[in-house]
Amino acid sequence: MRKFDAELSAGLFLLLGIFALAFISIKLGKLEVLGGGGYAVYAEFQKAGGVKNGAAVEIAGVEVGKVKSVRLDKNYEAMIEFIINDKVKIQEDAIASIKTKGLIGEKYVEITPGGSDKTLQNGERLRETEAPIDLEEVISKYIYGKV
Amino acid sequence: MKGRSFPETIFAACLIVLLMAAYGYAGEPTDIARQTTDRVIDILKNKELRRAEKTKERRAAIRKVVSEHFDFEEMAKRSLAQYWRQRTPEERKEFVVLYADLLERTYIRKVESYSDEKITYGEESSDSVYAIVKTKIVTKRNVDIPVEYRMEKKSGNWVVYDVIIEGVSLVNNYRNQFNKIIVSGSYEELVKRLKKKQVEGSDKT
Repeated sequence: MRKFDAELSAGLFLLLGIFALAFISIKLGKLEVLGGGGYAVYAEFQKAGGVKNGAAVEIAGVEVGKVKSVRLDKNYEAMIEFIINDKVKIQEDAIASIKTKGLIGEKYVEITPGGSDKTLQNGERLRETEAPIDLEEVISKYIYGKV
Repeated sequence: MKGRSFPETIFAACLIVLLMAAYGYAGEPTDIARQTTDRVIDILKNKELRRAEKTKERRAAIRKVVSEHFDFEEMAKRSLAQYWRQRTPEERKEFVVLYADLLERTYIRKVESYSDEKITYGEESSDSVYAIVKTKIVTKRNVDIPVEYRMEKKSGNWVVYDVIIEGVSLVNNYRNQFNKIIVSGSYEELVKRLKKKQVEGSDKT
């Protein structure tokens, strides 16, 4: 009887360990087990400027979605797909810009809401975008001029 | 009368294609951007209008040309964004006038300082009702300033609703500024400030 108890507790402990591992990998890997809520919106940027999958999409500093994918489209521009929280409506004249948190912080996408009556539906494109400003490029351009 | 023969028609068609290629056929939005820019430059180069006492006439002429293809109402609406919807028709009308004045006061001096900078036209991308025209201003120090016009086709006419200079959107710039003023004060406060600027501006000229 004594021996059985020890085996049972060892098994339970192992199971708990497996659950903990699964929980941590889902949380840290930002995997969506249940498909995840929200709708997809696309936007084309001249430059992605280091935005990564899983980067935050914010309105007024509040996270309203995430970057799902970043890829190159046929015009050699960056096509970024966002997943936006279902509760948040985005007008078709909203503007998406790529910004940096602080001076050297991570990149995120900031959306400034527009005034249009039409809102974007799943799979539609956000037309207005602003590429990140490449300070280095701007500075060198105005200091040295162009060849 | 005999109709044109088949070879002649082919010849005419080829000629048209060749001429179009020689002229550098671009899409309609690019042509409009080019024509508008050229007309403004013509006004600026006009010796008669260049004189200081003609400032008023010169500015009126520029404004007339620009307003043909700049949709100030759409720009004002986009800049005011979510607050546009809360405005009454009278408030909207008043705001569009104030906004157009603000743009004119802010940019007219820059436009008037034009001195033979070269403007080049790049690629154009458009779908049925929206277009992006990419242009570059080449300064005398040989620095390129990328300027992008965002255009929309409204009742058959291509009009500009946003200008993006060096990657920064004009509408987004004002949207952020107006938003800040309205959030920390009120819409009335914004109108008051715009009106104050209007008065200051007219004193200067």
